[in-house]
Amino acid sequence: MSKKILRGLLLPLLVLLAWQLVTAKGVFSAYLLPTPMQVWEAFGELWASGLLLQHLFVSLRRVFLGFTISCCLAVPLGILCGQSRRFDSYCWLLLEFLRHVPPLAAVPLIILWAGIGEASKLTIIVLASFFPLFLNTYSGIHNCDKRLLEVGQTLGFTLREQIMRIRIPAALTSIVVGMQLALGYSWRALIGAELIAASAGIGYLILDAEEMSRPDVVIVGMLAIGIIGTAIDCIFLLLMRRVFPWQQGWQR
Amino acid sequence: MKEWSLSVQGICKSYGAKQALQPTNEVFDEHSFTCIVGRSGCGKTTLLRLLCGLEKSDAGVIELPRGKRIAPVFQEPRLMPWLNVGENITLAAQHDKSLDTGRLPELLRLLELEGTEKLYPNQLSGGMAQRVSLGRTLFYNPDIILMDEPFSALDYFTRQGLQQTLLRLYAEERKTIIFVTHDVEEALLLGDRVLIMDSGRVREALPVKLPRPRQAADSDFQLLRQKILQAL
Repeated sequence: MSKKILRGLLLPLLVLLAWQLVTAKGVFSAYLLPTPMQVWEAFGELWASGLLLQHLFVSLRRVFLGFTISCCLAVPLGILCGQSRRFDSYCWLLLEFLRHVPPLAAVPLIILWAGIGEASKLTIIVLASFFPLFLNTYSGIHNCDKRLLEVGQTLGFTLREQIMRIRIPAALTSIVVGMQLALGYSWRALIGAELIAASAGIGYLILDAEEMSRPDVVIVGMLAIGIIGTAIDCIFLLLMRRVFPWQQGWQR
Repeated sequence: MKEWSLSVQGICKSYGAKQALQPTNEVFDEHSFTCIVGRSGCGKTTLLRLLCGLEKSDAGVIELPRGKRIAPVFQEPRLMPWLNVGENITLAAQHDKSLDTGRLPELLRLLELEGTEKLYPNQLSGGMAQRVSLGRTLFYNPDIILMDEPFSALDYFTRQGLQQTLLRLYAEERKTIIFVTHDVEEALLLGDRVLIMDSGRVREALPVKLPRPRQAADSDFQLLRQKILQAL
């Protein structure tokens, strides 16, 4: 294990230790803060019954579906707006307005229009992940190094070739950073969506546990969210290092 | 024997109130090696940018026979960071499919870049990156190469090495070269003709009839150097 991972584990271990000490001394009642052991047991119970995996699978499926829809919308639109000032002048005001409306503020309307099924959750995820991806794509395309474009120009590149061969490859790192952010936003928005209306998913598991007065299960849910989010991010970075070998900065 | 030439008649350029290039007339013959010297801001880069079509002239015409290609080598290598050396050199093939990527090994040899084909720009030294940049222009196979202080950011020894490479290329490929520099010695080492520019106009055109390889210590070389410095 690398030094970095070991150092990174130090603080969580200290928190765990403090948690154990506080609960052992009985500073808080077990109803407010269960012991680490209770949480571990709850985890074992959820794991053995397959409930945890089932809820995680539902949530992950929603995230990836929403994220994929978001990519399909935000990347092409970001490229169009970043490349064409004229196109951008038609879109900027509406996009700027929408950007400032938090997806959770639109939840009542979304539920009214899309019901409490999958569509409403996907809409919330798309709304949450669209802007980081769109803005990064836009800035990557728009701020492409003019000197590189001049190289294409002097080699006779057409506008299409300039976009495909220079602007988009040059913007890739920025687009990927946008994807990384968007994935994180999707994950967070999903939990919000599931807390509002759902019959499955990790957000639902937490809400259900609250109603059943099971803080240990709530904590298992929270830990699962954090661990899965971190894991997705790490896998993403590893992939990027493989896909973009010229880029040195793919690390946290 | 020259068959064609690049001629400019009355081209000029202003940026706001600043006249970067006064109306200029000049002829660059086929196979010629012209160096343009002058202080910073004298209009030499503007002239080059007009010649390669990166800027539009306010007036005048640039005449180049149909089918003749012109391409620059910039002051900085301007390599695509996502492409390796081989892909950077053959970049023009992404536009012009008739260009033969089979020429790559020959270019790598010519530019002393063998074994670096798979390296990315961030793994190259400044001198190597500038060689790749030169290779990219050569692969495009232009009839005229415009060079805008391409060696100015390099250390003395790398610069000397690249000057020799350029002279070898010139001897082998007989391209027409227009080379901008602020280094008078470099202009005299390389060019057959030196254009002296000042305040946006060509003050003087000086033929350099010294045999190659040239030595900076030669008296004739020194004489020409003095003459240019006085004109500047």
